[in-house]
Amino acid sequence: MAVDPEKEISSLWKALQGSQGATRRTFYQMREAAIEFAGPDADPFDIGVKAWEIIGKDTGKSYLPRMNLLKGEDGLMMNVARAYQGLAATNGAVVKIEKGEGPNEIFIKWERCPWPTSAKEFGASMKEDLLGCDKYLEAFLDEVNEFLGTNLKIETQKAIPSGDGVCLRRLYKSEDK
Amino acid sequence: MGKLLFEWDYSSYPGAQKYPHLFKPIQLGNLTIPNRIKYAATEDNLNGRDGFVTDAGVGYLRERAKGVVGGLCVMQGVYMDEKRQGQGYVGQAAAWDDKFIPGLKRLADGIHEQKAIAGCQLMHCGRVGGIETEYCQGPSPVPQRLRIFRPVEVMTKADIKQCLKEHIEATERLLKAGFDYVEISGIVGYLLSNFVSSYANRRTDEYGGDIRGRMRFVVECIQEVKKLCGDVPVGIRLCAEELLDDVGGNTPEESMITYEMAEEAGADVMSVTAGWQESIYPVISRDIPMGNWLHLAERAKQHLKIPVSMAYRLFTPDLPNKAIGEGKLDIWEMCRPMIADPLMPKKVLEGTEDEIRPCVACNVCLARLFRDAPMTCYINPVCAHEWDPKYEIKAAEMEKNIMIVGAGPAGMECAWVAAERGHEVHVYDKRDELGGSIIEASKAPYGDDELYGHITFTKAKAEKAGVEFHLGTEVTPELIEEEMPDTVVLATGPKYVKGTAPGFGRENVVSVLDVLNGKAQVGDNVVVWGNLKPGIGVALFLAKQGKKVTIVGKEKKLGKDINPSFLWRYVGYLRQNKVTAYNDCDIEEITDDGVIVMTYDGYRIPVKADTVISSEREANTILKDVVQENSIELFVIGDALVPRNLSSAVHDGYRIGIRI
Ligand SMILES: Cc1cc2nc3c(=O)[nH]c(=O)nc-3n(C[C@H](O)[C@H](O)[C@H](O)COP(=O)(O)O)c2cc1C
Repeated sequence: MAVDPEKEISSLWKALQGSQGATRRTFYQMREAAIEFAGPDADPFDIGVKAWEIIGKDTGKSYLPRMNLLKGEDGLMMNVARAYQGLAATNGAVVKIEKGEGPNEIFIKWERCPWPTSAKEFGASMKEDLLGCDKYLEAFLDEVNEFLGTNLKIETQKAIPSGDGVCLRRLYKSEDK
Repeated sequence: MGKLLFEWDYSSYPGAQKYPHLFKPIQLGNLTIPNRIKYAATEDNLNGRDGFVTDAGVGYLRERAKGVVGGLCVMQGVYMDEKRQGQGYVGQAAAWDDKFIPGLKRLADGIHEQKAIAGCQLMHCGRVGGIETEYCQGPSPVPQRLRIFRPVEVMTKADIKQCLKEHIEATERLLKAGFDYVEISGIVGYLLSNFVSSYANRRTDEYGGDIRGRMRFVVECIQEVKKLCGDVPVGIRLCAEELLDDVGGNTPEESMITYEMAEEAGADVMSVTAGWQESIYPVISRDIPMGNWLHLAERAKQHLKIPVSMAYRLFTPDLPNKAIGEGKLDIWEMCRPMIADPLMPKKVLEGTEDEIRPCVACNVCLARLFRDAPMTCYINPVCAHEWDPKYEIKAAEMEKNIMIVGAGPAGMECAWVAAERGHEVHVYDKRDELGGSIIEASKAPYGDDELYGHITFTKAKAEKAGVEFHLGTEVTPELIEEEMPDTVVLATGPKYVKGTAPGFGRENVVSVLDVLNGKAQVGDNVVVWGNLKPGIGVALFLAKQGKKVTIVGKEKKLGKDINPSFLWRYVGYLRQNKVTAYNDCDIEEITDDGVIVMTYDGYRIPVKADTVISSEREANTILKDVVQENSIELFVIGDALVPRNLSSAVHDGYRIGIRI
């Protein structure tokens, strides 16, 4: 029986999108559970942001085997940027990497990202969505920095949840310890 | 001349003539070691979970002590703190209290009974420790690369002081137990190496900073232990190369400074080591050639006046003999070769090298430790059972005439053991040579040629025990009925099968054996059916020839028959050679263009191929009926019983050999 590649690819693509949607829903369902469990005194905002921090730290830990200084800190920065890009792609976002003017910075641009839409759908604020993502990326980076003794930082310059149309983040080598 | 504990005269032994440098004395501090042989410290997980020495541990070490023929036999590294922060293995021996002394004394006595020098080792496992705690200790909070380890708790200066005290108290106990040599382990990522390394030590106090600061803890440790030891020599194991350049570890130059500082602090011997558990580079697996690391010993010699010892893939005596002769090494250490054959150096001395059971550097011994299981050896079925009389080769109560069908590893192992017990053993094989499918398996790259060593060993043992070989003879039902043996052992190896999907009857579908022994033509685009060791071996064999190889296998995980401590090597080489693997998949159809791969959940992927190689196997029931019909005692072993791996074949063979 010959294979119909179009059929195979289209059904795989649908399955991929389905699982990306399920991942986002699961996050918010777990967030709901945590909010309910934490009781009325807890701020859902704090819970959501904390969850992203935990996910970032754990994801960072799982990426340590791929992080190294074989190509120096510049190489490491590119490793990290690619990791962010790959992780975003598995979540259904489209991310581009651009080298900065100096050797010590890289720009990472989320041209589209499905997370703010999901946040709206589940009643989470845009502020939480933005800060959650920042925490996630920072916690990932902290893990790498701790592992390799580096001092990389990431800052958000534009954000989809703030209405900028894209998320633009600067990954850079910080001089201050 | 220093103190000599036991008299040994090697002059009349053939090994001493063949390898003169291995059997001459050397002095460690004030102690004379009669030869250049050392059994290196080996964690075995054979102690109780409370750290007490067991019969199994004593039996294990006593056998290795016999093997060093008067040399140095070092027990595993002990942990030294009641909180168990330094404990790296669930069955690691403890020395944090006087209550452990009697057990430790049993080990020292066991070594002395064999007229060997009893060595002990202090080993705080640092950032790979804390196996029974929620955390481990280290100089800085640097997370480990691998998840299996505990989070690191930074040691305060008070902790360092306490740790030093524990080293001293443990040394006192070990000396009371009767050990003649004390070694401090600073290898593979344990505490001392953590302090030394720029990767794991980011302290800014006097225990950190430059290499001299980072060495302070080690220096203090050596000085304190030495003070206590007096005439008892103190050795240290330190990395000559950490192989951590990817994470900012020490340079080789810094490592040599640590060597010089250790000597200055009073170490009597330096044991040279390489790599950490966290290194991304392979160090001791089969894909690393024997002798690969000798240059590190040579480098150490250039920096030190004290003797230099080293293990690390020195699996044959010619390598250390030459190195010692050339002044590049002083003492030959061994760990895994003597896990595989505890009497290895004794056999070298006695001139029976061909009877050495060779280690295949698979690292299953380590894999077991990391999974909290007692040690076993892939190739030595008796390992860790030395104390157990059930594993001994005892004379048979009734001598039998045994027909073994198949001269592969299972049949060969069974043959020599049964023959040594007094049975009359006949081994048949339709091939003209010994080895069965190990002949083909050993053609795979990255060191797999060493797998054939088991056949060389069993051949020597079998010939000595009087096994009769009938090569080039296919066993038929008629032959069995004609010979009418008392026992038949079917060790025929597996049945290599083809799939049932359409297209498996095509001419371009060939067997893994035919490919490896060069009988089959193979195109440039290849699909290998089967994702276990035979499939991986042939995939690498072809990929190294520049072919585009895809593995398709039904098992969920690639190479599930390979232990994780070696599998990562194969996975790395598959990646390096651009081999694609579809696991949890099957071949739906073989077409004119290649194969259609069917994933477990029904997706279909076309893969271009001009050759399809079948490496799938099934149990082999051939001849079973005729044996049973004639009421002959029957055993089925190795892959004929259930297709598995070389280890299972060897273990099956031995277990049936001692039972028939
Ligand atoms: C199962 C196993 C346990 C080990 N346990 C220790 C140990 O307790 N202390 C130590 O310093 N080295 C330990 N090592 C390292 C060995 O002593 C040795 O340096 C290493 O295996 C390389 O030598 P080889 O190629 O002869 O095996 C262990 C190695 C293995 C395989």
